[in-house]
Amino acid sequence: MQHVADMTIFRGQALRPAVEVRGLSHVYAGRDGAVPALADIDLTVPAGKFVVIVGPSGCGKTSLLMMLAGLRAPTSGSILCDGRPIPSPDPSRVGVVFQEASLYPWLTAIDNVEFPLALKHAPRDERRSRAEAMLKLVGLEGFGGRYPHELSGGMKQRVSIARGLVQDPPVLLMDEPFAALDEQTRMTMGQELLRIWSQTSKTVVFITHSLTEAVYLADEVVVMSARPGRILDRVTVDLPRPRTYQMMATDVFGQLRERIWQQIRSAP
Amino acid sequence: MTRPSPRTVRRLIGLGLLVLWEAVPRLGILPALFIPPLTKTLEVLWLDHAIYWAALLVTLSEVAVAMLIACGAGILFGAVVGGVAGIRRLMLPVFSSLYAVPIVILYPVFTAWFGIGSESKIVFAGVYGFFPVMLSTAAGIRTIDEQYLLAARSMGASLPQLLARVIIPASIPTVLAGLRLGGALTIIGVVVSEMLTSADGIGYLVTKNRTTLDSPRVFAAIIVILALSVVFDIFVRAVERRTLVWQTAGRRERPSQAVPAASLPTPAAA
Amino acid sequence: MRGSILILTRIALLAAVLLAWQVLPASGIVNPVLLPPLSEVLRALGDILQRASVHQAIAVTSAEVIVAFLIAVPLGGALGVLSAENEYFGAIFRPMLFYVFSIPKSIFLPLFILAFGIGFPQKVAYATFSTVFIVIMSASAAVESVKAEHLLVAQSYGATRAQILRRVYVPSMMPILLETLRISMIFNFTGVMIAEMYASRAGIGRLIADWGENFEMPQLFAGVILLAVAAIAFNEAVRALEARCSTWRT
Repeated sequence: MQHVADMTIFRGQALRPAVEVRGLSHVYAGRDGAVPALADIDLTVPAGKFVVIVGPSGCGKTSLLMMLAGLRAPTSGSILCDGRPIPSPDPSRVGVVFQEASLYPWLTAIDNVEFPLALKHAPRDERRSRAEAMLKLVGLEGFGGRYPHELSGGMKQRVSIARGLVQDPPVLLMDEPFAALDEQTRMTMGQELLRIWSQTSKTVVFITHSLTEAVYLADEVVVMSARPGRILDRVTVDLPRPRTYQMMATDVFGQLRERIWQQIRSAP
Repeated sequence: MTRPSPRTVRRLIGLGLLVLWEAVPRLGILPALFIPPLTKTLEVLWLDHAIYWAALLVTLSEVAVAMLIACGAGILFGAVVGGVAGIRRLMLPVFSSLYAVPIVILYPVFTAWFGIGSESKIVFAGVYGFFPVMLSTAAGIRTIDEQYLLAARSMGASLPQLLARVIIPASIPTVLAGLRLGGALTIIGVVVSEMLTSADGIGYLVTKNRTTLDSPRVFAAIIVILALSVVFDIFVRAVERRTLVWQTAGRRERPSQAVPAASLPTPAAA
Repeated sequence: MRGSILILTRIALLAAVLLAWQVLPASGIVNPVLLPPLSEVLRALGDILQRASVHQAIAVTSAEVIVAFLIAVPLGGALGVLSAENEYFGAIFRPMLFYVFSIPKSIFLPLFILAFGIGFPQKVAYATFSTVFIVIMSASAAVESVKAEHLLVAQSYGATRAQILRRVYVPSMMPILLETLRISMIFNFTGVMIAEMYASRAGIGRLIADWGENFEMPQLFAGVILLAVAAIAFNEAVRALEARCSTWRT
């Protein structure tokens, strides 16, 4: 597959969107009554696209991600992944990467990557070869035998990404995965992520606070309002791929960022 | 001249103490009744080694059973009380208040109930070790990162899988700390109770020889007990070092306490 | 669970325990000789509290506890602060301190008896010995808990050593110091009890040991209740104080 602006056409055939959210609302029971977290979300993510969700703190973007992952059920509305609903977590359809790598300290890197396969009782050699392939993909070939406490923050997140991808899900969800890293590591990881994405043609839904990161990574930026979260705008990022750091200094980049920022600022 | 390393200084201090132990009584600085020379003590220990050995076995057997009770019940209750939010809020303050009571005041009750044989020692030492192990485990259980569970759930882990593959491995440092604590405390509990009212065991030898003013034999018994504590401690440290991998990494810090409750020693005043 | 529900539930649990204590022995399910019913114990409690010999024993024990505390805390505090302030000193003694806690300190009781005979000084000395180590460790931890950043800020504003002591160290350390007091008292009280039960002619510890030996169970349990209540009361009082001083702690 080639990465062109419109990914819904492949060999002349329209692909089903990877993720479809319709009329999703979510209300949870707070201490002082019902709290509306999300209101009327409609979102369609075409297959193979890189979509970034930005919004102020508490706007419900993490809740939305949890629902996309099948970890939580919305109070109303529907979510379809590749045309089917997702009632419970299924790493073969949706991989998840959290802000904290959450690698298990008693397992080596490669054991951590294998973990989802071990849960499914996959045969040993199959697990191992798959995990090694993923480690190679994220640039950590040879580091499989290391323990998490021997890895840097960036490396831990790479292992976390490898773990999310190990069952080859078509969709990858990422909840501010680079937020805990320092600026320089973040930039490197962003580039790495784009490389991995281009090599695997997954659909990525990425959450971040950073507008720069959003514009740099995304095909489309979805801007959410404060609670109750609703979609304020969808900003298409037309910049050519592969993205480079130099693009961050261009006018186009700045204008896109400014547009997103204005949306967030002026939202009621 | 650079200062010697702390380790060296400690070793020198230890050596110095041993030398003093030998010299001070021999030189008459302190009466030999109060502190017999080290060599005399060792000599007596060697002469009576069969007696000491038999007593040590009795003590060890009591410690073993008491440890099973203290650690087994302590870890189990600690996991439940610490892990289940409702029970924790209800019972934990109660238990930590009870901890303020010197358990030793219950010893006469136990001797009245179980006699002066091994049973009362075991029950006493078991109870003595139970509370601290329980409190320590309850505290430690809470340091298991919720993120681990979330990550596992996102990978589709079932409840038994969560338990076996995440909760149990993540709890092992806490459990080990509990075992170390419980072991040390049951040794202390057994020794105290043997010293108070008993017919057998190393603690009994301490008391018996004191009443006959046989200082060398008293000290011989003291040496045996010290050796027991030290050996146990070394053993547990060795085990802990093997699992060090888990202990330094991945545990959430509890920022509100400079001295984590789990590492605070308990009334080892015995 | 709401706070009031928690308290009510605990009271209910306590009531259940007390009820069982009364009913089980009174009905004979549990041997009333071994575990006298609560009513009998409470009667004995009333009785012993009126005896002059018991008043004297309480006085002796209290005196031992207080004196030992007054020696151990300043001594241990000074050593603890020293080991925290002086890195070298601390590095030497810290590991030794940890070993000390796994040793049954009661094995040194005969030493104290040989040195002081049986009496007030021996018990105070032993209790002090029991307590001083935990004070050292806690004091040391308290000093270390004062965040380096807070000190740096004060120093950069040119605060004098005395000012830093008063305005940074003391408020910062106060919660831990109170906790130290509380825990040291637990060790102290335990030490006094052990010394009294082991070899003593006076004190509450001696009394309950005697009651136990003579199978005077109601008196024994009464004594245990008395001591337990005293210990818990002190503990909770200091804990309340700690809570007042700790509102700022995360």
